[in-house]
Amino acid sequence: MAKRTTVLKVTGLKRAFGKNTIFDRFNLEVRAGEAIALTGRNGAGKSTLLRCLVGADRPDDGSVEVLGTPMSETSPEIRRNVATVIDDLDFFPDLSVVEHLDLLARAHGLENPDRMVDEVLDEVQLVPQSGQLPGTLSSGQRRRLALATAFVRPRKLLIMDEPEQRLDTEGVSWLSGRLQTERKSGLAIVFASHEPSLVDSVATRVVTLGAPR
Amino acid sequence: MDGAAGDDEFADYTGHHDAGFEGVEEPAQPVIPSAAELKRQINDWRRGRATRNLWEAFSDAYIAVIAALMIGGALVNVVFRAQRVVAQCTSEACLSARTVLPWAAFALAVALALAVSRLFGPVLASAAEGFWLLDTPVRRARLLGPRLVAALVVALVVGALVGAAVTALTGGSVLAIAVWSSGTALAAMAAVSCAAAQQGGERDRMTQIAGYLFWVLGLAALVTVIGIAAGWFSLGLSADLDAEIGLAVVAVAAVILAVSLVLAVLRLGRIRRVRLVSGGALVKGISGAFFALDFGLARDIVVARRAVAVGQVTPRRGHGLGRQALVWREWQRLRRFPQPLFVLAATLIVPYACDALGMSTLTPVVAALALFGASIQLLGGLRVLTRTGGLARCLPFSLAQLKISAVTVPAIVVAIWAVLTVPAYLGFGDGAATHPASEAGLMAIATAAAGLLAAIRWTQAKGPDFSAPMISTPSGAFPPGLMSNVFRGFDVCLIATAPMLLGFSPMWSLAICAIAALILLNSMDAESLRARQAEQQKELERAKKQRAAAAATERQRKR
Repeated sequence: MAKRTTVLKVTGLKRAFGKNTIFDRFNLEVRAGEAIALTGRNGAGKSTLLRCLVGADRPDDGSVEVLGTPMSETSPEIRRNVATVIDDLDFFPDLSVVEHLDLLARAHGLENPDRMVDEVLDEVQLVPQSGQLPGTLSSGQRRRLALATAFVRPRKLLIMDEPEQRLDTEGVSWLSGRLQTERKSGLAIVFASHEPSLVDSVATRVVTLGAPR
Repeated sequence: MDGAAGDDEFADYTGHHDAGFEGVEEPAQPVIPSAAELKRQINDWRRGRATRNLWEAFSDAYIAVIAALMIGGALVNVVFRAQRVVAQCTSEACLSARTVLPWAAFALAVALALAVSRLFGPVLASAAEGFWLLDTPVRRARLLGPRLVAALVVALVVGALVGAAVTALTGGSVLAIAVWSSGTALAAMAAVSCAAAQQGGERDRMTQIAGYLFWVLGLAALVTVIGIAAGWFSLGLSADLDAEIGLAVVAVAAVILAVSLVLAVLRLGRIRRVRLVSGGALVKGISGAFFALDFGLARDIVVARRAVAVGQVTPRRGHGLGRQALVWREWQRLRRFPQPLFVLAATLIVPYACDALGMSTLTPVVAALALFGASIQLLGGLRVLTRTGGLARCLPFSLAQLKISAVTVPAIVVAIWAVLTVPAYLGFGDGAATHPASEAGLMAIATAAAGLLAAIRWTQAKGPDFSAPMISTPSGAFPPGLMSNVFRGFDVCLIATAPMLLGFSPMWSLAICAIAALILLNSMDAESLRARQAEQQKELERAKKQRAAAAATERQRKR
């Protein structure tokens, strides 16, 4: 069997806030079709690590490479390959739910954006809200829209910070199934989670951050 | 726990010892305090927690108070000196401005009062008041009365200042200043009062329609000034007649104020808590943003509020792929909410008005400032893409590509604005400076570019970074960039139009605009520069460590 491509390579990553070192000499290699779950207590550094991986935060030392390209949040190549669901997602206040997804699909050059948008919208159960402006959505619906933005576009690496947040039980179950399918189709996934069922069903490896309780 | 003992405890706590049905007394009706008593109690608590008295607070803030007094005094002096100078002007343009501009100020002040009232309430309450006070059986109207009075006082002060300043600056007499100041103040109060009456009736349609009507009236008055200055028509109003009409306006405004105030007071107790609290939340958010001098955030809050009020739209299919899709969406957003275009169209008057009023030299800077204010509304897409980075990360373009895509549609609209202002630079009205066609065209383009770039700079502003080392000032520690936010945008306008103001070729202004565009639309903003600097610093440290390690190995080897 051919060796799978290394999608994400993290070497010697360090992040500290003042004297408080969050993580140091952190190494990780994620290949296509692998799903890494980051677990650990609150404040262990899961979100900080993910922010460093997507380029939203700058590590103090170490390097992050995506498909051999050094991580730079502003690089179009990185943006093309990496889909993220972390807490800083913003929305145009005057574009509806479906228009956001349509914009993303078209911006990524999808040949048949309408079909893809309809599929994803149906999957995240936001069809009745398709004409609503984001400001009127509930927190759970906003989370579903955030997840939809990751699934409506092409991607090679998916990075998510507690994707199960604010989802109902049915939503967590759907997410679990969707991520398993994504992984099996060759997508590399890194996600932080406090939901054992999601970690157990999706992750191929579990990395626990911080000191044990 | 012993059951009997527990019952006894409960009995002591409630004050009822007899648990039998026969001996049960009717519970005494609770005495509901009056709103005034409740407020007195809250004030007592507040005073009890105060650590400084009023004089001590004043002593601490004396620099700010003296600075405000000095600036206020200087402004009043400037207005009075301008009034004396302009009062001597007897040209048709000056006379028309003197007659009609107070009308414009009057209409625009009323429109503004209606718009602000509709946005905030005008009667509002904080979330805490909503939870702790408005849910009690205390008479709500009594609690809210002072809120209505506060809103009316603000309208009175702002209206009086606007009316007096505009009448004075156009060279009006003392009588005219007094009449228009009173008229504008009373009309602004009446507007707030009408909006409050509508709020009590759970409606705001009339406020909205009246607001639009007054905006149109204000703009019509401004166009009239230009028309008279250009000699298209004449109003033939004398100063005496103008003052008489002003007095009539005062009377009408007073009557409307009285009637609407009675209605508003009668309906105060009927305003729903959710409406009161939402206005309070908006004020809280905006005041927080203003305290941090984060004007972009203040605007974001208002925009988000409007979007929530709209709630639902008819989705439109996108067009094109890649960056074309983003540009197309910008166009669709503008078509969906075209209000910014009306504001922009209104600013077309500015360069013509400057010419008409004999202030041709100032036309570029004043027009650029007006365009700066109007263009901010066009750049909502740029704001969303640059304020957090979350959405930009989802799109496969560089930051520069994203910015250019988001700015394309506004730039086209502003280019049309520039073309329509060329006649103002060619020479418009009596005594206006004239320029050859080529130079007028370049001046119009440079002015428009300055206004748009200023708006782009303003839109991309980041809030102050309170985690960074603070700067020590006599007024306390300030985060870096806090004060520069005040001048953001204005700086581009002034620097870019300075060569035209000083009589140099507009090519100099265009060159400054080109440099500003390179900085603002490229990835060369302050944040990216800091990121690059940090990256270079890291590289340097890494190289230093490697050199030190190599030297240590070499020393080891030699030993």
